[in-house]
Amino acid sequence: MKKVNRLLLYIVVFTGSLPLAILLLIFLTPVPPTGEMEHARKTISIAGRGRADTYSNKLYAEAQIYYDSAMGNWQNENNRFIYFRNFEKVALFAELSTKKASQAAENAVSNSSNLKMKLIQKIDSLNNLISGVNKLFYTYPLTSEIRERISRGKLFLKEAEIAYQEGQYLEANIKISDSELLLMEGYSYVNENLKEYFQSYPVWKSWIDKTISDSKKNRDYSIIVDKFSRKCFIYLNGIKQYEFEADLGLNWVGDKKVRGDMATPEGMYKITKKIEGSNTRYYKSLLLNYPNDEDKMKFQNEVISGSLLPNAIIGSLIEIHGSGGIGIDWTQGCVALTNNEMDVVFKIAKVGTPVTIVGSMTDLQYVVTK
Amino acid sequence: MRNKVLMGLSIIAMVAVLSGCGKKPQVKIDAANAAIEAAKTAEAPVYLPDEFAAVQDSMNAVMAEVTTQQSKLFKNFGPAKIKLDSALTQANKVAADAVVKKVEVQKEVETLITEIKTVIEENKSLMTKAPRGKEGAAVLEQIKSEMTTIEGSVAEAKVMFDNGSFMEALNKVKAGKERADSINAELKEAIAKVKARR
Repeated sequence: MKKVNRLLLYIVVFTGSLPLAILLLIFLTPVPPTGEMEHARKTISIAGRGRADTYSNKLYAEAQIYYDSAMGNWQNENNRFIYFRNFEKVALFAELSTKKASQAAENAVSNSSNLKMKLIQKIDSLNNLISGVNKLFYTYPLTSEIRERISRGKLFLKEAEIAYQEGQYLEANIKISDSELLLMEGYSYVNENLKEYFQSYPVWKSWIDKTISDSKKNRDYSIIVDKFSRKCFIYLNGIKQYEFEADLGLNWVGDKKVRGDMATPEGMYKITKKIEGSNTRYYKSLLLNYPNDEDKMKFQNEVISGSLLPNAIIGSLIEIHGSGGIGIDWTQGCVALTNNEMDVVFKIAKVGTPVTIVGSMTDLQYVVTK
Repeated sequence: MRNKVLMGLSIIAMVAVLSGCGKKPQVKIDAANAAIEAAKTAEAPVYLPDEFAAVQDSMNAVMAEVTTQQSKLFKNFGPAKIKLDSALTQANKVAADAVVKKVEVQKEVETLITEIKTVIEENKSLMTKAPRGKEGAAVLEQIKSEMTTIEGSVAEAKVMFDNGSFMEALNKVKAGKERADSINAELKEAIAKVKARR
């Protein structure tokens, strides 16, 4: 009996204290910050879906580093004896990770939105530049290098537009920058050249005014050639009678300097000879007195100053002639009209009729705006 | 005596059960990680970035679960094992889908390159018929320059394609095709206008 009672006592004590011991063991086990880690992981995930890795990569990377540190620390603590574990650092890293990820997510939204706005504006502005450049460049003789830059600029812009449509804003930004550089190079080249060329506008204006005034005074015909607009105007008594399209020298920008430079000269000239039939290969021709005294003096000065080679030869045989209307600048410096228009000019012109050739009858501002 | 034996057997059984549940599923973890690496090799981050990110996220969640269980006195890796199996399946699917997507992009680039070349040839032919009025000639000069640039861009895209960078090549050929098509439309419009006037 005593033995049975003792056995029963052992069983009761054991079954009673075992669960208590187990509960105590569980209760005293250090608790890892699973909630904080879960929160950090979810915040990083949200930031990633918001493309924080692209638009806020520094903060996103820091968030990742803190999370990895937290996990590393957690695993290290798990390797220690259970009751010696300390998860304070894990919780701290998890908290820092959450904070960084949250900032990254916010920044990504703001940065991508700002970049998107900037890209829309840039794309619009470059498309406007291309449109403006197209108008200006139609008639301006560009080098093949400048044409190539403009072409590449246009293609980069198209690549930027496609990247933008795909939501690849960083890629679009790079392409936009490349496009802008190339297009501005082309635009600046023409702009600077035009500004330099139009410095002669006051002189051209004085020639035009005199030519029209003389036409009025003499009650006679005068001819004015406007190189920039490719026009040949016929005045009578100071009033415009006719306006014709003209083809010019291949290298029409600027004054003629030497024989073979393919430039159409600028100055005040007169018709010295009327040529037709087998004496000309251009249907009908009106020979001008180029080079005039001013041209000769200018040529000599340039040879003396060294701007021209000592063996340079001044040009000659500049005419207004037919066989034109091709639409490109192809002559060696002459002004070419269609044969029908040449008939009109040939009829009204006589030896001594003034012919004034200028860079432009309107100023640069008007030319660019038009 | 019989009670002592029974008690001893119970303790052994309990330890065995707890030990079985309490073992970290390292083999399954390694398998899932290997599958994710395989997805990376298949360029899933390039061709299926969102899906790949989801796989990585799932794996992070599983590792957090595993580490949580390792912290416990009485471990139970049962739910983690199920999640690891799911992550493995997911990673394998993303890897397979990335291969399919890559082939799709490859075919798209090939098709576009062929189409651009056709348009370029057509444009060259149209240029001979385009009007050469006052502005026409200068425009044709610029178009000629642009066609040369597009051809250059196609050549660059071909190099990217041959190197396996299909996504990079895709944007380039799309841009080239749009420009070539735009020039094609411009030329046809100009030719049609002249015909209408006649």
